[in-house]
Amino acid sequence: MKMIKKCLVSLSFIAAVLAVVVVGTASAEKLRVGMECTYAPFNFKNANGELMGYDVDVAKGVAGLIGADMEFVCQKWDGMIPALLANKFDLVIASMSITEKRLKKMDFSDTYRISVGRLVGKKNAGWKLFDGTGRPIVANFAGLKVGLERATTYSDWFENELPGATVVLYDSNEALYLDLVNGRTDMIMTNPMKAHLRFLSKEDGAGFEFVSPQIDEKKYFGIGVGIGLRKGNDELKGRLNAAVETLTLMGWLEKYALQYFPFAIH
Amino acid sequence: MEALNGWWDDFFWGSVVVADVFVVSLILTVLFGLTGAAAKLSKNRVAQSIANGYTIIFRGTPEILVLLLFYFGSAIALTAIAQISNPEIKYVDIPPFWAGSIAIALIVGSYATETFRGAFLGVEPGQIEAARALGLSNFKTFIYVRIPAMWRLALPPFGNHMLSLIKDTALISIIGLEETLFVAEQAIATTGKPFTMFIVVGAIYLGFSTIITLSVVVLEKYANQHLKIAR
Repeated sequence: MKMIKKCLVSLSFIAAVLAVVVVGTASAEKLRVGMECTYAPFNFKNANGELMGYDVDVAKGVAGLIGADMEFVCQKWDGMIPALLANKFDLVIASMSITEKRLKKMDFSDTYRISVGRLVGKKNAGWKLFDGTGRPIVANFAGLKVGLERATTYSDWFENELPGATVVLYDSNEALYLDLVNGRTDMIMTNPMKAHLRFLSKEDGAGFEFVSPQIDEKKYFGIGVGIGLRKGNDELKGRLNAAVETLTLMGWLEKYALQYFPFAIH
Repeated sequence: MEALNGWWDDFFWGSVVVADVFVVSLILTVLFGLTGAAAKLSKNRVAQSIANGYTIIFRGTPEILVLLLFYFGSAIALTAIAQISNPEIKYVDIPPFWAGSIAIALIVGSYATETFRGAFLGVEPGQIEAARALGLSNFKTFIYVRIPAMWRLALPPFGNHMLSLIKDTALISIIGLEETLFVAEQAIATTGKPFTMFIVVGAIYLGFSTIITLSVVVLEKYANQHLKIAR
């Protein structure tokens, strides 16, 4: 019996440890923002540990306009929507495209960036993958190994439009380039701005180029990138939309973009 | 190597997080392991079946799954409970550090339960009978006789558990805790040098596991010194 008492003592200790929880009340307007923190140039940390990027700038701009404090939470892409739904943070400002599929589970503000994808493959490989109008030639994709990030708009597009291609899924954008260089995949599909900055303009991307036009089929890529939030927060959504509109009209979005790209991306 | 410039301090703080998680989850692992072993060896049927359920579930499911369920599940469950009593509460959350440490400790603790149980059974019955004869209570027997005799037997397998523990800390990056692997991923995103960064992480973990292995060797020597004299 005394052994059991010891168990109970231990269990109450465990319960005490479990009491280390954070309780948020509605009083202070503090919004927690989820992002990957590893998706340069949109959201990433530099060597000084500062969070930077287009998404971060947008978040700060919005925070200033709606008068809220923003706290950034780093979350891997796979768990971004579950974490939002589990109340780990209140907003997703992580280059997340607005799609029909996602709108079933969550809400989005108006767009603060365009959403497109482009294929990257070896230079001068003589790919004949797209016809004159920019539509993919389905048969020519048969057997091609294409590297994609898991749970992205790109993987949705490929699986539905080009089932003949062999899709290889990765957890991070970085792994895409690694295995493309290693020859484990024939081509990859990702965000062209990102591919340009991180890969094609660098030494290891020298032998590669864009092998497709920009693909922006609305059905998969949606209308663009927006700020994600949980459903049932229409008042907050209204304020976010107003803030995004102001950022667009005042030319701030363009200013943010020009810090990272040679062109505007809104 | 110049890619690492400016990232050393991040790796250092990442290692501190790894060490913190290790220490906290080690303490909890011992606690869970001892409690589980005590429950399994007790005559109480309920305690026995709870402990059996615990080891079956946590040894039989992937570690990453336990971690994710604990991290996401706890937030949903705690928020729901808190909102019953006070609808003003927007969210209740366990920070990634505690969610991760507890989840890892629960997993490794389930293995430790079996290790400790085996070690308790390995203690000579004569010693416990002697304790009874001296009139020691069950609790005192547990603390002064069973545990000092059992930890020697548990030490070699427990060294393995500690190695699992230190390596499991790398899983915590998926719930956003900024340990070394997460630092590496951030560094790769800006520098584009995956191999350099991953090798640094490997070296850090190798360093930690070497320290653990050496400590176990020293402890084993200490634990068995009486046997050396006898030999």
